[in-house]
Amino acid sequence: MIAASARTRSHTRLAAIAARLSPARLSVPTFLAAWVFFVILPLLVIVVFSFFQVRSYRLVYELSFDTWQSLIESGRWMIALRTLRVAVTMTVIELLLAFPFALWLAKGCRSKSAKAVIITLLTIPFFLDAASRIIIWRAILGTNGMINTALMASGLVDQPVSWLLYSEFAVHFGMLGTSFPTMVFPIFIIISLIDDSYLAASDDLGASPVQTLIYVTLPMALPGILAGIIFTFVPLMAAYIEPQLLGGGFVDLLGNSVDSALQQLRYPMAAALSTVVVALLGLCLTAFTLLTRNRLDLSTIFSTLRQ
Amino acid sequence: MKDFDITRRRFVEKSLTLTGVTALASTMPVMSQMAWAAGEAVKAYGVTTAQPRDWSLMEKSVGIKVDYTPTNADIGVFMRDVISNDLGATHDIFIFDGGTEDILGPQGYYAEVIEDHPQLTLWERTPDAWKRADFLRADDKQYSVPVIGNGDAFGYFPESIDANPNGLDEIPWTTFFEGEAIKGRVAIDRSWLQSLSETANYLKHHGVVAIEDPADLTAEEARPVVDFLIERKRAGQFRTIFTAFEEQVQLLSNREIDMINCWEPATKEANEALGANTVIYAFTVEGYYKWGHGASVHTKALDRGNLDNIYKLLNYFLSGEYRAYQAKQRGYAGPNMDLGVAYATENGWSQEDIDLLKWTEEKVARKFEKPFWCKTAPVNADVMEDEWQRFLNA
Repeated sequence: MIAASARTRSHTRLAAIAARLSPARLSVPTFLAAWVFFVILPLLVIVVFSFFQVRSYRLVYELSFDTWQSLIESGRWMIALRTLRVAVTMTVIELLLAFPFALWLAKGCRSKSAKAVIITLLTIPFFLDAASRIIIWRAILGTNGMINTALMASGLVDQPVSWLLYSEFAVHFGMLGTSFPTMVFPIFIIISLIDDSYLAASDDLGASPVQTLIYVTLPMALPGILAGIIFTFVPLMAAYIEPQLLGGGFVDLLGNSVDSALQQLRYPMAAALSTVVVALLGLCLTAFTLLTRNRLDLSTIFSTLRQ
Repeated sequence: MKDFDITRRRFVEKSLTLTGVTALASTMPVMSQMAWAAGEAVKAYGVTTAQPRDWSLMEKSVGIKVDYTPTNADIGVFMRDVISNDLGATHDIFIFDGGTEDILGPQGYYAEVIEDHPQLTLWERTPDAWKRADFLRADDKQYSVPVIGNGDAFGYFPESIDANPNGLDEIPWTTFFEGEAIKGRVAIDRSWLQSLSETANYLKHHGVVAIEDPADLTAEEARPVVDFLIERKRAGQFRTIFTAFEEQVQLLSNREIDMINCWEPATKEANEALGANTVIYAFTVEGYYKWGHGASVHTKALDRGNLDNIYKLLNYFLSGEYRAYQAKQRGYAGPNMDLGVAYATENGWSQEDIDLLKWTEEKVARKFEKPFWCKTAPVNADVMEDEWQRFLNA
């Protein structure tokens, strides 16, 4: 009797332990532990590195504010602001271009083969080396390039238009092709998932196409738009090929500054610049959350995918 | 402490060596270390352009083999490989822009040159102008053997500044920085080591800023130099701030610019597309960014039993064969060009090729009369890099 009772108690304890160790209960702590180890810890190491120094190409483990001081004095902090401005501008431009295109591709383009060709064409930037793809623009945008030659020949201008190359315009222009697919694909996928019956119902209820777009399509496409913004904005913050090849040294972004620091083995400076990038991304996310807290709930936004 | 410096690579090496030596000892007891070392290849690590295009010539004339690992001219990568990656554990000779010995010599990475080594037969007759150059020495000690050198300035289209098309006249750097005729059509190198130093030398020459060493600027010296560059940038003097060698060639070949502080080989390549002497590499009034590559032996190589072969390679860098081919193939000069001319003559080179060697020597001798040597690893590198960022961000 006593032995049976002890066996029952033992089984109950084991069951309780097993319940506590169930995959459902373990998944969150495991994920958090992995997140801290693989993401947070390296970031903390980067921040700590920014307070060390380099002397004669050797890292000196003495804490100092020298790197941060020179970051401000050399004007490198201004690069952070410029990078943010360029990244935000390009993200907005890409969104304005990509949304109507994705909408047409998902709902307007009826030919399956045309759709397949377009999707294939959109993947080309992922297969080509960015530098070889972008350097071509030099031959087109330069003072003796195709565009200027055509403009001069047509008599539209007397002198070559110099701002076409080695300018902020050229950098933005070069980024257009690189970032377009990363904005289009998530929006295209989410709009493709919208059931046509919702759009038909909106039409049946007397909504104009614009009203259907604003009140049905846009809210349901929000997860894709959000994903497109993230996939476009984050790589733009680290862009360095377009500014290097098309900016002519006049449009330095954070990536170029980090590269320059690393060439001199100035790891603390590279770490400080990386810290600035992470801080800026954190600020952007906080600002986005605050601005949309009454209109957009990030925790439920993806629930539209279940409909 | 250094004796107990056991790295993972060394541990594996020692273990394998011990096993190998034990096995060899049982099978070949009479093989001496010297005989074994005679066939050992010299392992070199250095800039691509220092190596001849064909090592087989050297193998035939000197009788040794060279295993060469090329790198680019990135000082950060070079320092990382020597200091952090312990490349001295596997490589015997390091060839890079002179200046690295200031750091790597006193810190024990580079060994002093054994000037009376029996295999360094050409050392004595090598002119002091080359072998005693600052960029090969530190703390009054000789750490490197001269390999190649040149004086960098700028390339230009003579008609754009109304200059003599024969290219022999001296063109002032004033034209580069302040010339109205080419305003907005000047390209400046993104490498601050080069551009900042050249600007400092220009301002020093004209007495605008008091500077002790244009190649190693203190914070007080660098600030007015960068202020000047920012002023010129805002005035629209520069068309672009370029990065790579290919870019230099492209900017010249497309005629995107009229003047560029590029490397001399870029003008050679552009002229292949545009026609001979379309672009001229300048003789200047104020001076040149003079550079020279040095070859240094790593201290760890001294105990590897291959020193004779290592010194045979060092001696080859001073020889006529190496000099003749470097001048012909790359347009670079170096010590003992007279031996290069003699080699070309003895080996039946064309008169045109021989004249080219003579002209290379004359050209570099003319450049080296001017002041200002570059520094690959200036003491104030951090300050200069920070100030250069101010120029880029302006």
